[in-house]
Amino acid sequence: MGLLSLLIFLPLAATAIILLLPTSLRHSYKYITLGFTVAQFALAGFLYSQFDAAATGVNTADGYQFVEHLSWIRMDLGTLGTLEIDYFLGVDGFSLPLLALSAFVMLMAIGASWNITKSLKGYFSLLMVLNLAVMGIFCALDFFLFYVFYEVMLLPLYFLIGIWGGARREYAAIKFFIYTLFGSVFMLLVIVGLYFSVINPDTGAHTFNMLHMMNPANYVENSFFGYINNYNEVFGIPARMIGFIVLFFAFAIKVPIVPLHTWLPDAHVEAPTPVSIILAGILLKVGGYGIIRICLSIFPDAAVDANWWLGLIGIVSIIYGALNALAQKDLKRLIAYSSVSHMGFVLLGIASLTAEGISGAMFQMISHGFLSAALFFLVGVIYDRVHDRYIYNFRGLASLMPKYTGYVAIAFFASLGLPGFSAFIGEAFVIIGTFNAESVGTGIPRWMAIAGSLGILLSAAYFLWTLQRMFFGQTRLKGGEEWASSLVDLTKREQLILFPTLALALLLGIMPSLIFDNLNSSVLNLVALVAQYI
Amino acid sequence: MITLTHFLVVSACIFCIGLYAVLSKRNAIMILVGIELMINAAVLNLVAFGRYDKVNYGGQVFALFAIVLAAAAVAVGLAIILNVYRKYKTINPDNITDLRD
Amino acid sequence: MRDLLTISPVSMSILVVLLPLLAFVIQAILGKKSTSGMISLIAIAASTLISGGFVFTAVWDNPTISTTYNWFTIGDKTFTIGILLNNLSVLMQFIVCIIALPVHIYSRSYMKGDPGIHRYWMYLSLFCFAMLGLTISKNLFMMYIFWELVGFASYLLIGFWFTKEAAVQANKKAFLVNRIGDLGFLIGIAIIFSTFGTLDLVDLFGTDGFFAQGIDKNTTWMTVAGIAFFLGAMAKSAQFPLHVWLPDAMEGPTSVSSLIHAATMVAAGVFLLSSIFPLFNETVLLIIAIIGTITALSSAFFALGQYDIKKILAFSTISQLGYMMVGVGIGAWDAAMFHLTTHAFFKCLLFLCAGAVIHEMAHLKAHENQEFDPQDLRNMGGLRRYMPKTFTLMAIASLALAGFPLTSGYLSKDAIVITAWEWALHHGGLYLIIPVLLVVVSILTAFYIGRLIFKAFFGEFRLKDLNVTHLHEAPHAMLIPMLLLGIGALFFIFSWNPLSYADAGILQGLSVAYPFAEIHALHVIIPIILTCGSLIAWWIGWRWYSKGSYPLNPHSRWIQASLNQGYLNELYHKTFVESTLALAQISYWFDRYVIDGLVNFSATAVRSLSTFSSWIDRYIVDGFVNTVAGTTYYIGHLLRWIQNGRLQNYLGFAFTVVLIGIIYLIIR
Repeated sequence: MGLLSLLIFLPLAATAIILLLPTSLRHSYKYITLGFTVAQFALAGFLYSQFDAAATGVNTADGYQFVEHLSWIRMDLGTLGTLEIDYFLGVDGFSLPLLALSAFVMLMAIGASWNITKSLKGYFSLLMVLNLAVMGIFCALDFFLFYVFYEVMLLPLYFLIGIWGGARREYAAIKFFIYTLFGSVFMLLVIVGLYFSVINPDTGAHTFNMLHMMNPANYVENSFFGYINNYNEVFGIPARMIGFIVLFFAFAIKVPIVPLHTWLPDAHVEAPTPVSIILAGILLKVGGYGIIRICLSIFPDAAVDANWWLGLIGIVSIIYGALNALAQKDLKRLIAYSSVSHMGFVLLGIASLTAEGISGAMFQMISHGFLSAALFFLVGVIYDRVHDRYIYNFRGLASLMPKYTGYVAIAFFASLGLPGFSAFIGEAFVIIGTFNAESVGTGIPRWMAIAGSLGILLSAAYFLWTLQRMFFGQTRLKGGEEWASSLVDLTKREQLILFPTLALALLLGIMPSLIFDNLNSSVLNLVALVAQYI
Repeated sequence: MITLTHFLVVSACIFCIGLYAVLSKRNAIMILVGIELMINAAVLNLVAFGRYDKVNYGGQVFALFAIVLAAAAVAVGLAIILNVYRKYKTINPDNITDLRD
Repeated sequence: MRDLLTISPVSMSILVVLLPLLAFVIQAILGKKSTSGMISLIAIAASTLISGGFVFTAVWDNPTISTTYNWFTIGDKTFTIGILLNNLSVLMQFIVCIIALPVHIYSRSYMKGDPGIHRYWMYLSLFCFAMLGLTISKNLFMMYIFWELVGFASYLLIGFWFTKEAAVQANKKAFLVNRIGDLGFLIGIAIIFSTFGTLDLVDLFGTDGFFAQGIDKNTTWMTVAGIAFFLGAMAKSAQFPLHVWLPDAMEGPTSVSSLIHAATMVAAGVFLLSSIFPLFNETVLLIIAIIGTITALSSAFFALGQYDIKKILAFSTISQLGYMMVGVGIGAWDAAMFHLTTHAFFKCLLFLCAGAVIHEMAHLKAHENQEFDPQDLRNMGGLRRYMPKTFTLMAIASLALAGFPLTSGYLSKDAIVITAWEWALHHGGLYLIIPVLLVVVSILTAFYIGRLIFKAFFGEFRLKDLNVTHLHEAPHAMLIPMLLLGIGALFFIFSWNPLSYADAGILQGLSVAYPFAEIHALHVIIPIILTCGSLIAWWIGWRWYSKGSYPLNPHSRWIQASLNQGYLNELYHKTFVESTLALAQISYWFDRYVIDGLVNFSATAVRSLSTFSSWIDRYIVDGFVNTVAGTTYYIGHLLRWIQNGRLQNYLGFAFTVVLIGIIYLIIR
C-alpha cells in the first residue's frame, strides 16, 4: 500500500471506527476524526516535502511521483476486447498543492464542526467519506477511477447539506446534486468515447488510462475522438471539440462559471459552516483541477481553439460575480458570489495558456481555498452567536468584537488582493499572464486582462463596503442588548483555526515559491503540450 | 253459433288473466288463483278440442285428470303458503328471500 | 545572506525599511500594552539616523548601487526583488524619514489619551515601513506591492476613529479611488512585462537598459503603458479627476494627514513617474502636464471657498502636487522632485500647525462643553495672541507655500514655473496656456493661504461667549518638531543662494538635461511677477478678512461651487457610485429571476412534464385497461339484474322468451 493510498483511505478507517462505536461514545467522534485528519495532514505535508520539483508530470508516467499502478478490473468482453480499468494513482505539480490544500481545509472543517449536535455519527462518517473522495479525485490517473471518486463525492455532500443545512436545505441539496450530476453524466459519455478511441500501447486493449489519452499516438485511427483524419461531427461540431466542451461544462459547473453558478449561493447559504468551508475550499478547486488535468491535457487541440470563449466566460464570471456580490444583503451570499468572481480568475488564467496565467490560476485556487474557507468560517462565527447574517442588522461590530473585526479585516483585505497575501500573487499573475497571451499568440486579447482587473476594483468595493456597513460606525444591532451580550469575541478554538489559515495566506503571499517551485516544471510541460497546437 | 274459436278465445283470455295474476300479484294466494285460472284455461282447451276425439273422449278424460291434479296441487300449494305464512308472517313471495344468493 | 550582514549602503537601507516593520510586529504582538509609541519612535529615529547619516551620504552623487535577490520563479521566468540606491531613491527615503520623525514626536503629544492609541502607533509604523520600502524598490512589481501597502496603511489611518461615520466613508473612498490607480499601475506592469520580459528598473531604465538602447517609444502600447502608470500616479497623488479622496481623507488624525496626505504618500506618484521617466513619450508627457495644470488650477479654486482649515490645506496639497506633475510633464522631473522635497517640509508644517490649532480649539470645546466644529475657520480669529509661536511657524510655512523669496518654496516653485515657460516658449502656440495658468495658480495660492492666516490668526476671536483664557500655546512636544520642520521651510537647507534655484543641491544631484534652451530673462521676470502677485493677493486678503470689508456675496455661484468642490463628489456619486450599485442590483435581479429563474423554470418544466406523463399513464395507458375491465363488469352487472331471485320475474322472462320465440316462428 503506497502513501497515496494511505492518504486516501485513512478517512475510511475513521468512518469504520465511528460506525462501529456505540452512540453513547458520540462525543469522541470529533476527536477521532480530528486525529485522523491531523495524521492525513501530516502525511500530505510529508509528501509535499518529499516531492521532486524537477519532475515534469502532466503527460508522462515518469513525471508522476508516488505512483501506484495496480490492475483493478480485467473483463473479457469477447469481440470488444478486454475491459481494462486500473487502480492508478500519482501526483504531479498540479495535484500535489491541491492535495495539501484539501488536507488543510478538511482540518479546518473538522475544527468548525466542533459544536455540531445533530446525529454526530452520520455527520462525521459522511465528512470522512467526503474526505476520501476528494483526496481520490486529486490522485486518480485512471479516468474511470476518477469518475468513481467524482461521483462518490456527491453523495455525502448531498446528505450533509440536506440534513444539517438551514431552512431551505432540501431545495439547495437537490439543486446542487442535480446540477453536478447533469454535468457528470455527459462526462461519462465522453469517457466511454475516449475509451473506445484509445489503446494501451503495451497490451493493445482499450484503456481508461488518462496518460495514454494524452498521447496522440495511442488513438485508434478513425475512432470517434481520434487525432488524425477525424471528420466525426456532432451537430456540425468536430468530435474532439464536442468532447472538450462536454468535459469543460462538467467541470465548469463545479468551478462554477456564469451562468452555471446558481447552485453555489444556495448551497453555501443553506449548508452548515463546515460544509461551506469544504465547498468553497476544496470542491470548487475540483472544477479548476479537472479543466487543467483533463480538458487541457487530453484535448489540447480543442483547448487552443476554444480558449477565447473560456477567457470570455472567465471575464463574465469575474465581473458578474463581483456585481452580484455588491448587491447582496446576506453576508454569506456575498461571500458565495465573491467566490464566483474569484474563481473567474482561475478560468481566465487557464484560458491564457501562458505559463504565468496557468501558474497564477493554480495559485489563485490555492489562495482562494484558504481565504474563502476563512471567510465562511468568519461568517459562521457571527451566525453561531445570533443566528443572523443580514448585513444591515449589524453595525459597529468593531467596538464590540475587536479581535473578530481584526480577523475579518485581514481576511477581507487578503481576499481583495492586498500585496503580501496570497490572492494578490494569484490575481496579479493571472492578469500579467493574460496580458502576455497576445505576445505568445494564444488568442486571448489584451482587453480581457483589463476587463479582468475591473474585478479587482469591484472586489475592493464590496469588501470595503461590507466592512464599513457591518463593522465600523457606532454600534447598533437589530437584536439590541440581547445580541450585544451574545456577540462575544472570538474563542480560543476559533482563533486556533483562523490564525494558521491567515498566516498561511500571508506566508504564501510573501514566499510564493513554496507553491511555484513544485508547480513550475508541470506548468511548463503543460504549456509545451498545448503550444504544439497554437 | 258457438265455434271452437270462441272457446279458444275465452280460454286464451282466462290464461292471460291467470298469467297476469301469476306475474304481478304480490300475494301467494292470488298467484295460486292465477295458476288455477291458467290450468282451467288449459282444461277448457282440452274440453274444446275434445270434440275431435269422439272415440275415446281423450279431451274430457284429460280434463278430469287435470282438475283432480289441480285440486291436489292447490291443496299442497295452500299448505305451503300456510307454512310460509307461519314462518315469515307474510305471503308476499318477494319478501321470502332465504334461498336467494 | 553574507552581503546582508556586512555594513554596506544596501544592507543599511534595508535596515532603514525593516526597523519600522519590526516596530509594527512588536506592537502587534504587544497589543494594548504598547501605548506610548516609544517603540515606533525609536524605530523611526534609528531609521532616520541610518538613512541620513549613512545611506544618503554614501550614495548621494556616487554611482548607482543595486542588489538583486531572486524571489520566485514562474514557469521559466524569475521574479526578483532588489534594492536600488541612486540619488533619487536615497533622497526620497531620506525625505520620508526626516518628515516621519517629527510627526512621530508630535503625535506623542497630539494623540495622548486616545483609547485606540496602540493601533495608531502600529499603523504608523506599518506606513513607514511601506513608504520606505517603496522608495528603494528596484523592481516595479516590488514597488507595486509597497504602493498598495501604503494605500492600505493610509486606509487604516484615515479610518482610525472608526466609530465616526465620515471617517469610515472617507477611508473606503480613498482606498477605492486608489484602487483605480493601482489597476493602472498593474496594467502598466503587465505591458512592460510582456514587452520586455523584465520589471527590473535597472534593466529597463539603467544606463545600458532597454530604454537607453533606444526602444521605439511611440508605439500605441508604450503610450498605453505610460498612461496606465500615470493613472496610478494620478490616484495616489490625487490628480484631477481622481483627487476627490484626499479632501475627505482629512477625517483622519491631523498628524496622519501631515505625514501621509501631505508630505510623503501622496507624493509617491511623482516619485514613481520620476523613477520611470524614460518610459514616457511626448504624448504621455503632454497629458501629464495638462492634467497637472488642471489639477493645480481646479484645486486652488476649490481651496478658496473652504471653511474647514484642513480641507484648505488638502486642496493646497492637491494643487501643489499638480505643480509637481507639470514638472514631470515638461520633462523637468528634477524640479518636480525638488518641489516635492520642499513641499514635504512646509506642507507638513502647515498641517502640524493646523493640528495644534485644532488641538487647542478641541480643548476649548471640551472645557466649555459647547458644540462647535473645532476645524471651522469661522469659529477662529485672533489666535495670534494666544498662540504666537504656532502663528510664526505657520506664517513661515505659508510664505513658503506662496513661494515668497528666502523660503524653500520660492526656489522650487520658480524652478517649475520658469522651466514651464521655457518649455512652452520652445513649443510655442497653445502650450503657453500651461505656464500662464501656473502663474495664476501661484497667485491664487497666495490668496487662499493668506485667507487662512487672516481668518484664523487675525481679527477678533469669533466665539465671543467662550472663555478664551483656556486658549494657550501648544505644548513643547508639539512645538519642537514643528520648529524642526520650520527650519526646513527656509532656503538655506537647499541652496546657499536664496534667489536662484540653479544652485540647489537637489537639482544638481539629479541633473536632468532639458531638451530646450534656458532663457535668462525669465529667471528675473517670473519671480518678480509671482512675488508682486502674492503681495497684492495678501493685501486684498488682509482688507477682506482682517479688516472685515468683505465685498462679495457669499451665496454667489462661484463661491458656492468652490465650497462644494465643484460638485464633483455629487457628480461621481450620481454617475459612478449609483450606476454601479444600480448595475449590481440589475445583475442580481438578472441572476435571481433570469438565470436562476431559468434553472427553476427548467426544474418546473421537468416536473410539469412528469406530471403530464403521469397523467397520460394514469388516464390513457392505464385508462384503456380499466375501460376493458369496467366494461366487462358493467355488462356483468347488467345481466346480474336478471338473476334477482324472484320467481315471478323468472317466469315473466321465460314467458317473454317463449313469446318472442313464438312471434319469431310466426313472422318467419
